[in-house]
Amino acid sequence: MKKVIKFRPVLLAAVAGVMVATGCVAQDAKRGMSGPPPLAPLGPPPIPADNLQSPAKIEYGKNLFFDARFGGDASTGCSTCHEPDQGWSWAEDISRGYPGTVHWRSNQTIINAAYYGKLFWAGSVTSLEKQAKSASKGGVAGNGENDIMEARLALIPKYVEMNRKAFGTEWPLVEDGWRAISAYERTLVQRDTPLDKYLLGDKSALSEEQIRGKKVFEGKGGCIQCHNGALASDENFYNIGVPGVKRWEEDGLAQITFRFELYAKGSTEEMYRTLKDDPGAYFRGKNKWDMGKFRTPSLRYAVYTAPYMHSGQFDTLDDVVDFYNAGGVAADGRTTSFPKTKSKLIKPLGLTDSEKEDLVAFIEAFSGDEIMVEKPDNPPYAPLFTKAELQAAQEAK
Amino acid sequence: MGVRVTSGRSLLAAMIGVGLAAGVQAANVPDLGPLPPIKVNAAKAELGKRLFFDKRLSGDAGIACGTCHDPKQGWTQNKPLSDGYPGNGHFRNAPTLVNVAHKKVWNHDGRIGTNLNDMTREMLTEDYIMNMDMRIMQERLKQDPEYVKMFKDAGYGEPSNGSVRKAIPEYLNSLTSRNAPFDAGKMSASAKRGLKLFKGKAGCIQCHNGPLASDGKAHNTGVPENFDIFLDPNNHQAFIAFAMFQGIENYMNLKRDPGYYNVTLDSADVGKFVTPSLRELKYTAPYMHNGMLKTLNDVVAFYNMGGGMDSKKSLQLKPLGLSKGEQKDLVAFLLSLSGDQLTSAKHVWQGKYPAEYPVIENWKHVRN
Repeated sequence: MKKVIKFRPVLLAAVAGVMVATGCVAQDAKRGMSGPPPLAPLGPPPIPADNLQSPAKIEYGKNLFFDARFGGDASTGCSTCHEPDQGWSWAEDISRGYPGTVHWRSNQTIINAAYYGKLFWAGSVTSLEKQAKSASKGGVAGNGENDIMEARLALIPKYVEMNRKAFGTEWPLVEDGWRAISAYERTLVQRDTPLDKYLLGDKSALSEEQIRGKKVFEGKGGCIQCHNGALASDENFYNIGVPGVKRWEEDGLAQITFRFELYAKGSTEEMYRTLKDDPGAYFRGKNKWDMGKFRTPSLRYAVYTAPYMHSGQFDTLDDVVDFYNAGGVAADGRTTSFPKTKSKLIKPLGLTDSEKEDLVAFIEAFSGDEIMVEKPDNPPYAPLFTKAELQAAQEAK
Repeated sequence: MGVRVTSGRSLLAAMIGVGLAAGVQAANVPDLGPLPPIKVNAAKAELGKRLFFDKRLSGDAGIACGTCHDPKQGWTQNKPLSDGYPGNGHFRNAPTLVNVAHKKVWNHDGRIGTNLNDMTREMLTEDYIMNMDMRIMQERLKQDPEYVKMFKDAGYGEPSNGSVRKAIPEYLNSLTSRNAPFDAGKMSASAKRGLKLFKGKAGCIQCHNGPLASDGKAHNTGVPENFDIFLDPNNHQAFIAFAMFQGIENYMNLKRDPGYYNVTLDSADVGKFVTPSLRELKYTAPYMHNGMLKTLNDVVAFYNMGGGMDSKKSLQLKPLGLSKGEQKDLVAFLLSLSGDQLTSAKHVWQGKYPAEYPVIENWKHVRN
């Protein structure tokens, strides 16, 4: 009996998989039950019970987000690579890195990151708090160590005060810094896109073209199989055929980081010696069937976050649609280095030029106005002790 | 007969010692003398030399070992406190690296007592020093064909973290005093008088003994605190980070460098620092663990007063009553422990480093 129960979902999933692959998705969605969740207006972001929002915390987090001293050599903070002018992301194929390095994956936008249950392209952490920590410490990201960052916070009187208001401790703790940054990031959401308005009943919010594109999205294009729900992401892992970073073949600095990542994330010797592409979700469970899989990204705010895909290989949304239309092959013929794990969901779509245009127009409806903020000025350091106090301590020796 | 003569001499020396201000067992300590030679593997040391001056061995590729241990500044920096890593300062004076291979204990607080392999790791990876993730360092080295060749020629195989930690110490083995007047027997008359004071009235040899002129032990001499550690937030952040990481309690309120306490966690050891070598002093001003004394005259004057003020100051320190002339002689002797500056191509890497990492061609088809 138990065995039957255990196997049933697998069977169901397999059947659903077949149906999806043969293009029955839209009908399934309409029927409800076995199809993917429909697109939906974005609600407020989930707030973790162990890091509740407060105005003081958000304000402190905003300051830290824009302060490069919250990193290794005081040059690289959150906003250094998640640049608001570049879609709260970085407008190159792979992200800029800590000085002396370059990253190895495309930089993801901060906007709506609050909704993800799986952060980073390979879903290596499950909260913004852990994402912030990982990014500020990673050798090709912030390269900061806990002790020096915590020490810096203590020497910035404004942060000591802001921290006290937000967390109540006498001295700022680096972990609370990441919690504050996360609280700030939970305010960086966009819920008033044309699509949200449309789904909430304003039928004029989408153009004719976009409404046609929505049909392609949910039907012939099959996009909704993975880009579904309010976030337009199922947060599952797929290998859709995206080619690796071209720069790895052309740029010594990028080659260094590529090998470092293989080494640091845990590879067999043979993998380290021979891999020439990012194994992605493989690093989670070290299962070969996860090679080259990445977590479905949201499509929200995508207008501002080019280039696209985990390896940043597509400059425009048109390129992305062409890639899917070709069945997961780039215009130059490049594709994933892990063909064995490529998703069966990805097949040539046979979209006409006008269908492709409609689809791109619809994807643009996932983005509202560009989100810009006034960057706070970084408050100065100040000594903790006066000369008189030091003199007194000296005399008391 | 011989035995008797020896004991007689010891007794005499002890009596002289008692008679002098410092008054301790000066005769029971190892004598000064030439440093024993160290064998150096040329290929490994050559590799270590290139690594030592390569900025790519720090996190942001901004500083090399040779930045804070600058050959032109006596393999230290001629400022009280070392620069530290970009983005922060430091809280101690960089010690010279000449003769560093002869030491048995490293860092002013003596926190490393194993070997230069561990010291190399400590300096490369500490966040306020070079902040290097050694896994990135390894891949940087593998990206430079000259290193690939040098590691191979040195017998290390492909570049690796472990080999860096061997090659740099091998290079440091080559940084030893050359032609110091003391070693060469070419001391001036004043220096000779100074040597007598050093072993006698001034009592320096109590701690500054053996070929290195250091007992390798920690003592509290009452050196005043360097307030710039605490008044400059860049320095203070490095100090706080250090104290926090080392597990020193109440680090936010510390207003002094705890020194050797870091090793023993015994309050009796607060303010003790490891006796530095006196070799190559000519080039390494300012002096003391925190650079508080600008000149050797200041150092001698400091000891002539019996050291600084500290309730835990070593009982070996007492006012010495040295005359001006005696102080001058003592300084002359100290200077005779300094040899040639090691600033030629023999010790300093002269080659250029590539501005960019060359690309590995045919990348998809060669093994990493």
